[in-house]
Amino acid sequence: MSLRNRELLNLVVVGALTALGFASVYIARQSVVSTASLSYAAFFLALYLVAHLVARYAVPYADPYLLPIAALLTAVGLTEIYRIRPGDAFRQGVWIIIAVGVFAGTLWSLRRDYRRLESYKYIFGLTAIGLLVLPALPGLGATVNGARLWIHFGSLQFQPGEIAKLCLIVFLAAYLREKREVLAQGRLKDFGPLLLIWGGAMLVLVETNDLGSALLYFGIFLAMLYVATGRLLFTGIGLALFLGGSYFVYTRVAHVHERVTIWLHPWTDHKVYCALTGEMKLRQDCGSYQLVKSLYSIANGGFGGTGLGKETLETSAGHPLIPSLNTDFIYSALAQGLGLIGVSALVLLFMVFVLRGMRIALLADDGFSKLAGAGLTFGFALQTFIIVGGVLRIIPLTGITLPFVSYGGSSVVANFVLLAGLLLISNRANAPREA
Amino acid sequence: MTLASIAVEELLLVLKIAFVVLLYLFIWRIVRTASKDLRVPQESFILAPSQAGDLATLRDPGPREVGRLVVVSSPTLEPGEGRMLDSVAITVGRGPQNDVALDGDDYASAKHARIEPRGDGVWVKDVGSTNGTYLNGIKLTRARKLTPGDVVRVGETELRYET
Repeated sequence: MSLRNRELLNLVVVGALTALGFASVYIARQSVVSTASLSYAAFFLALYLVAHLVARYAVPYADPYLLPIAALLTAVGLTEIYRIRPGDAFRQGVWIIIAVGVFAGTLWSLRRDYRRLESYKYIFGLTAIGLLVLPALPGLGATVNGARLWIHFGSLQFQPGEIAKLCLIVFLAAYLREKREVLAQGRLKDFGPLLLIWGGAMLVLVETNDLGSALLYFGIFLAMLYVATGRLLFTGIGLALFLGGSYFVYTRVAHVHERVTIWLHPWTDHKVYCALTGEMKLRQDCGSYQLVKSLYSIANGGFGGTGLGKETLETSAGHPLIPSLNTDFIYSALAQGLGLIGVSALVLLFMVFVLRGMRIALLADDGFSKLAGAGLTFGFALQTFIIVGGVLRIIPLTGITLPFVSYGGSSVVANFVLLAGLLLISNRANAPREA
Repeated sequence: MTLASIAVEELLLVLKIAFVVLLYLFIWRIVRTASKDLRVPQESFILAPSQAGDLATLRDPGPREVGRLVVVSSPTLEPGEGRMLDSVAITVGRGPQNDVALDGDDYASAKHARIEPRGDGVWVKDVGSTNGTYLNGIKLTRARKLTPGDVVRVGETELRYET
């Protein structure tokens, strides 16, 4: 079976899964939800068939599993968002259409040779910083949940950091490809432009309190540096710097200190000072409220889950139990609906995606493709780990989206561009060579 | 009413089980078919030396070292002697007009071979020699792309391509 036919077959399975999920939500919440909900599944399948047709033409030799996995993740996410707040699902649906459009456009415009991007590396590097700075500009930026990450044009909100991540990966791949040999020798002067652009990005992230992204960028940088130079020493130095830096911000920055305290001691049995209201409260009613409620939500799912559509997500008065449930905490809503067994499958899907991505990086036979493939895949993996680990209280929680699943337009668009990048790299690596 | 609600409960249970089973079948399918992939990737992520300089000549036509030719053995040149390759093609042969002149190598023709850096790498081709040009012991019938470590034999002279 040809690669693209395999992809098509997988997409049909994904369509069936989407229909099952939506049917479940629809039946469980008949009183609230309209019949139109089932059309979501049909609409979805049609949308991904379009994406498939573009892939069939533009990247015939690309990996056949990435698109179906991405489709399934967005479908599961949309189902859950629909369960949480039907109005958001409509907006998310619109964003997914835009994302598939951008995906198709990326594949189409770069189908001949994406490697020419390499010539514009400094433009990408500076664009990344520019995008990161945008939300901090007065009049354009908006502060949500203590972090200034959004820009808004009228009613449209956008988080430019997600796109900045991709620009930075392209810059790193191009720069490291060119300078890898001198970098491996450890001459400090060659690190100049690298540290300038990457350091600038880190500075902006720390300034805007976007700790999750800062962690993500740091990890991507170290991974790509290792792929380029093969020197464990650099990774070691990087990790040491990270630990030192973390300790420094932990002791100096109240915001970070609180995150760590919430992570280590979410429950207290005596009242502590609550910075949010200025009163004395139990910590589970204050700073760690969100995390604790999310843990209860996961526990409520148990092994088999409550079933999609039957999760307990609101108080009896109809207020949402967990703040930002459909973005940062969508994992805990899914864990309740699908149970341990279902949510393990979800994590497996992420792992298979990463596995395919790593394979693409291994198969790529030129430096830029290899570095870009490894960077994109590692970024995807680390982002998933940071948010799932945060929700499960494995690491301190930092707000970041769960790729493809979370509600959020910029995240969906950026992840589809990431997907397009991996497909392009994979297409080039698998294409038969002209002699 | 109670009957209807029981039916709904059962239907939801069926849907839930069907969803999870199909999800696992999907994953199983991917993992199984993926393990049958024909092409085995190389073992390391770390960039091999040959992957570094790929695009250098394509993007920047200015002089830039794309590799070296090192003499392995020759009746006339010192083994270990090298010649840098930039974006300009070089000629090899017995005549003195060649970039690599082998005036003591009796088996080399006056104009013997040409080594051309192109956009996608360095190529070697025979330019009508009597005894032929050999790449890793195989006689050239058309232009071939060199990979680092390849040995080109012209007459009795062996040159190794290095990056």
